[in-house]
Amino acid sequence: MENVLNEGLLAIEVCQNLTDLQNVRNAYLSKKGLVQQLMGKMKDLSAEDKPAYGAQVNQIKQSLESAFKLKEEALQEAAFDVQLQKGRIDLSLPSAMPLVGTLHPLTIVQSEIEQFFMGMGYLVKEGPEVELDYYNFERANIPQDHPARDMQDTFYINAEWLLRTHTTAIQTRTLEAYKGEIPVKVICPGKVFRKDDDDATHSHQFVQIEGLVVGIKISLADLKGTLELLAKHLFGESRVIRFRPSYFQFTEPSVEVDVSCHICNGKGCSTCKQSGWIEILGAGMVHPNVLRMAGFDPEKVSGFAFGLGVERVALLKYGIDDIRHLYTNDLRFLSNFRRFE
Amino acid sequence: MKVSMQWLGRYVDLTDIKAETLADKLTLAGLEVEGVDPIAQGSNLVIGEVVFCEAHPQSDHLSITKVNVGDEILDIVCGAPNVALGQKVIVAKVGAVLPEITIKASNIKGQASNGMICSLLELGVNPKALSDDQKNGIEVLDASLEVGQEALHALGLDDVILDIKQTPNRSDFNALWSVAYEVGALLDREVKLPWQKDFAQKGSKSDLVIASETAKCPLIYGKKIGQVSIKASPIWMRRDLEAVGMKSINNVVDISNYVMLETGQPLHFYDGAKLPKMEIIVKDGLNESITTLDGSDLPLDVQDIVITSNNQAIGLAGIMGGEDSKIDEQTTSLVIEAAQFSPSQIRHTSRRVNLLTEASQRFVKGLDPQSIIKALDRATELLVEHADAQLIEETVCCGEVSKDLLKVSVHLQHINDLLGTKVSLETAMDIFTRLQFTPVEKDSWIECTIPSTRLDISVAEDLIEEVGRFIGYADLKGSLPLMPTTQGSYDARQAMRQRLRQHSVGFGLNEVITYSLVHEDKTKMGVYPLENPASLLSPLSEERRFIRNNLLASMLETVAYNQAHKIKDFGIFEVSNLNTIAVNQERYAFVLSGQVERSIWQKQVYPYDYYAAKGIVERLLSELGVNLSRVRFENNEASTFFHPLRSAIVKIDNKIFGVIGEIHPKLAKAQDVSNVVMGELIIEQLLSMKLAKVRFTPVNKMPAVVRDIALVVDEAIQVSEIEKVIKAVSKDRIQSVQIFDVYQGDKVETGKKSIALKIVYQANDHTLSEEEITQLYTNTIEACKKGLNAQLRIA
Repeated sequence: MENVLNEGLLAIEVCQNLTDLQNVRNAYLSKKGLVQQLMGKMKDLSAEDKPAYGAQVNQIKQSLESAFKLKEEALQEAAFDVQLQKGRIDLSLPSAMPLVGTLHPLTIVQSEIEQFFMGMGYLVKEGPEVELDYYNFERANIPQDHPARDMQDTFYINAEWLLRTHTTAIQTRTLEAYKGEIPVKVICPGKVFRKDDDDATHSHQFVQIEGLVVGIKISLADLKGTLELLAKHLFGESRVIRFRPSYFQFTEPSVEVDVSCHICNGKGCSTCKQSGWIEILGAGMVHPNVLRMAGFDPEKVSGFAFGLGVERVALLKYGIDDIRHLYTNDLRFLSNFRRFE
Repeated sequence: MKVSMQWLGRYVDLTDIKAETLADKLTLAGLEVEGVDPIAQGSNLVIGEVVFCEAHPQSDHLSITKVNVGDEILDIVCGAPNVALGQKVIVAKVGAVLPEITIKASNIKGQASNGMICSLLELGVNPKALSDDQKNGIEVLDASLEVGQEALHALGLDDVILDIKQTPNRSDFNALWSVAYEVGALLDREVKLPWQKDFAQKGSKSDLVIASETAKCPLIYGKKIGQVSIKASPIWMRRDLEAVGMKSINNVVDISNYVMLETGQPLHFYDGAKLPKMEIIVKDGLNESITTLDGSDLPLDVQDIVITSNNQAIGLAGIMGGEDSKIDEQTTSLVIEAAQFSPSQIRHTSRRVNLLTEASQRFVKGLDPQSIIKALDRATELLVEHADAQLIEETVCCGEVSKDLLKVSVHLQHINDLLGTKVSLETAMDIFTRLQFTPVEKDSWIECTIPSTRLDISVAEDLIEEVGRFIGYADLKGSLPLMPTTQGSYDARQAMRQRLRQHSVGFGLNEVITYSLVHEDKTKMGVYPLENPASLLSPLSEERRFIRNNLLASMLETVAYNQAHKIKDFGIFEVSNLNTIAVNQERYAFVLSGQVERSIWQKQVYPYDYYAAKGIVERLLSELGVNLSRVRFENNEASTFFHPLRSAIVKIDNKIFGVIGEIHPKLAKAQDVSNVVMGELIIEQLLSMKLAKVRFTPVNKMPAVVRDIALVVDEAIQVSEIEKVIKAVSKDRIQSVQIFDVYQGDKVETGKKSIALKIVYQANDHTLSEEEITQLYTNTIEACKKGLNAQLRIA
C-alpha cells in the first residue's frame, strides 16, 4: 500500500506534460486504477479491519489527488508560458492607422475666429453671395458713381445684381433686420469676389470676416480693445496692435489696423517688410449714414465695424507663400493642416 | 501721389526734418507713405568739364577724354555717343558707389580710365522722367555750373520722393499745395504758397467765347494770352517736374503741368492760332471721333463730354486734348481752359477709352471748386515770368465759382464718446485751428468753417476723425464694449455645416474649397444643377463666367489635378452654398478616388466604390439624425454624369436628396480622371426636416438567437427587398437581418444569386422558446419562398 502512494507521487513528479499526467492519473485514480484496486481488496478483510483499511486507502487517494492538482496547475502554467512566448510579433511593422482627413486651412482660421467671437457673445450672420447692388454699395454708404467704387472692381450680373465684393453686404442686411434694436453684436463671414487677376497675393475669390457692434456709447477705444484681444488670440499673447487713420465709406473715423510682426516680434523682417508691423484689418466707427439708412438713430447709438481677410491671416499664420495654394487643393498641401490646434 | 521733399520744402520749412520722420508722421496721420525714395544715388560725384575728347584708337564707339574736376584732371574712357569737348558733365570719381556699380581705376583697351562720366539713368533716376537722349547718353549739364562741386546737390538731385497712397476721400492731396497745408498743420508750421491772388483778373477785353451746353460741365473758364514765347523751362521747374517723374517738354506745357500738380486743377492750353474759331463750347451728344494729343483716334460716345470750337471736337474733356490744336514750337498765342467736369462721366469715358491721365484722375476724384481761380492766377503769373506772356486778355467764364464755405459743428462730448478719449477743448480747438478750419466755440459746441479744398468733411464724425488722427491713436487705451451680455452661437445651418465637416474629416476625407466661378460647360452637368445659373457681364475669362450651380462639376478639376500629380488614393469633400439670383442652397459633395490603404501588409486595403460612397451618406445622415429607414437609394439609369448602373438617387422620405455613385466612364475620360466615386447632397433640405433627437432606449436583456440562412434568388432581386420581406415576418421578434455573403457563379444556376443572411431573433419581454424560434424560422423561409420565389440553399 505504501508503495502505491510513493510510486504514484514519484510518477506525478516526473510528468513533463498534461497528457503524461492524465495517463498517470488514469493509472491510479480511474475506476480500474490502482487506488480502486486497493479498495477492491477490502471485501477480503474482516469487519473490524475494514474501517482502518478504508481510511488508509482514502488517505492515499486524497494525497494523490492533491499532488495531481498541484502538478496540473504547474504544468498548465508552464504550457501557458510556452504559448505566450509563441505570440511574439514584430513591433516595428507599420501600423494600421485610422484614416483621418483635414479641414481646409481657410476653414480652420475662419472657425478659430468665429469661436473667439462667439465666446465674446457674438452671433454669426451670413448672407447671399449673389447680392443686390443696393446692399453691397448703396447701404454701405457707397452711392452710384462714387469714386470709392473704383476701389472695388465688381463682378456684375446685371444692373441690379452682383457677386458681393465684401461682407459689408451682410452687415447692411443684418443692420436692417435688427430694425433699430440694440445690441447688435455679430460677425459676418463669407466668400467675396473682386475682379482681380489671380497671382501670389491676389485672388478673385476670397473669404472675409467682418464684425459689427452697435450699442450705446460704443467707441473707437472699444474697437481697439476688441481687436487687441483678437490679435493676441490669432498670433500670440505678446502681440500689440496699432491704428493708422484711413478711409472706408462704411466707417468714420476709419483706421487700418497693424499687428506687431509675429515672426520678428516687431524688430523687422521680410514678412513685415522690415517695418515690424503687418497690416491685417480695416475698421472704424459705423458711418452715421449707414446707421440712419438701416433705421438706427446715430444721435443715440454708435457702433464699430471691422473686416479682415481670412486668406491673409492663413498666409501669415502658416507662412504660406502664395494665395493660390489655398484654391489649388493639392492634397500634399492640405495634409500640412492635418495637425491643427 | 509722388511728393518731392525739395518742392514741398518751397512752401513749408522742412530743413530740419528727415524724409523718414516726415513719412512716419504722415503715415500715422492717415497719409500712408508707401515709399521714401531718393531720386538719385551715388557717392563721390562731382561736376566736371570735358577738356579733351578724342576717339579711342582701338574702338569704334569709345572716346578718350580728360575731365577737369576742379582739383585735378582725370583720364576717363567714355562709351557715350554724345560726349564732346567743352561739356559740363557728372563725374563719378574712383571709389564712387552708384546704384549698380562701384567705380574703380581701370585700363580700357590700353587707355587709363580713372572715373566715369554718368547718365542720369546710372544714378538711379526714374526713367519715366528722362528723354531717350538722356537714357542713351551722358547727362550734358548747364554750362554755368561750377566745376568741382558735389554733383547731386548742385543739380537738385539730392532730393527724396515720398510716395503717398491717397485714400479716395482726400481728393485735396491731388494738389501739392494741400499736402503743404496738411504738413504745416501736422508740424504746426507756417505755410507760404506762391499764390498771387487775383493775378489773372487783369487783362484787356476778350473776344473769346466760352460756353457749356451740358450739365456735366457746370463751370468753365477761358483766358486768351495773345503772345508767348516757347523755350526751355527754368531749371528749377524742370527739376521739380522730373523729380516727380514728369518729362519736361517746353516752358508753356510745363507750366500747365506744374500748376496742375500744385493746385490740383488740370488746365488745358490750346494754340490760339490753331483754334477753328475763338470759342470753346463744351458739349455732349456727339457721335464722331477725335484724334488726341498722343495721336490715337478715339471714337466718341454720346455721353462723353467734348470740347468743341466751331463745331469741331478739339478735346476729350478732362482726359486729353486734341492733336489739331496742341502747343508746339511754333505756338505764339494761347487759350487756357480750366473747367469742372462730372467726375462720374470722366470716370466712364476714361474707362471706356482706357486712358488714365494725370488730368482724368484728378477730375474723377473731385476738385476743389476754387482751384480754377488759383490755377488761373498761378498759370498767368508763371507765363508772364517764364514765357514772356503779353497781350493778356480778361478771363471769360461760364458758370460761377461758389465762394460759400460749409460750416460743420461738433460737440466736445461727441468727440470723446466716439473716440473713447478725454480730449480737452483746448486740444480740439488747436487742431481745428492748425487745419485752418477757423473754429468758433460756444458751450463746448465747436463750429468749423471747412476750407473749399476739404471735400471730405461734411458731418460731425468727419471732424472727430480729424481730432483722432491729429492726437494719434498710439495712446488710445483699448476697452471692451459695455453692453448687455449676449449669447454667442452658430445658427442651425452653421452648426450643421460644422458637424458635417468634423464627421467628414473623421471619415478620412479632406476638405477642399474650389472656385465658385466656372465655365458654362460646368453648369450643364452635375447633380441637379440649379436652374438659371447667373453669369457675369464682364468676367475675367470664359473659364470663370458662370456662378456654379452644382459642386461636383467643379470639384472634378481638383480630382484631375491631384491624379495628374500622381496622388491616386484620396477622398475630398466640400460644403458650400450655391447661388443664383433666385436661390441660395446649401450643398455637400464628396469625391473618392482609388482605394483606402489602411495597412497593406495586412491586406487591409478597401476599394473606394459605390458602397463606400453609400456608407458615407448613411453614416452622415444617421449622425445628423435621419433614421436610415427614411432613406432610399433608387436607380439612376438615365444618368450621363454617373455610371447609369452603379449610381443611385438618394431620397429621404421619398424626396430627392442627392445622387451618389461611380462617375460615368465617358465623363471620366473627358475630365481626365479615373477610379472616381462621388456624391452630392442637397443638405439645405435637412434644415427643414424633422430630425431624430438623442433618446434613451432600454437595453434588451433577453437572449437573442442567431440563425444563418442562404437563399438562392433571381439576380434582379435587390437585397433591400429580401430584407423587407424578412423583416415583415415579425416586427418585434426580428432584431436584425445582416447580409454576410453574396455569391454568383458556377455553384448556382445562371441568372440566380445566392444571398447568405444572419437573422437575429429576440423578444423584448421573454426568452424565446424552442417552438417559437422554429416557428419564426419556418415563417421566414416560407415568406422568402412565397414573396421572393427563393430557394433555400444547402451548403
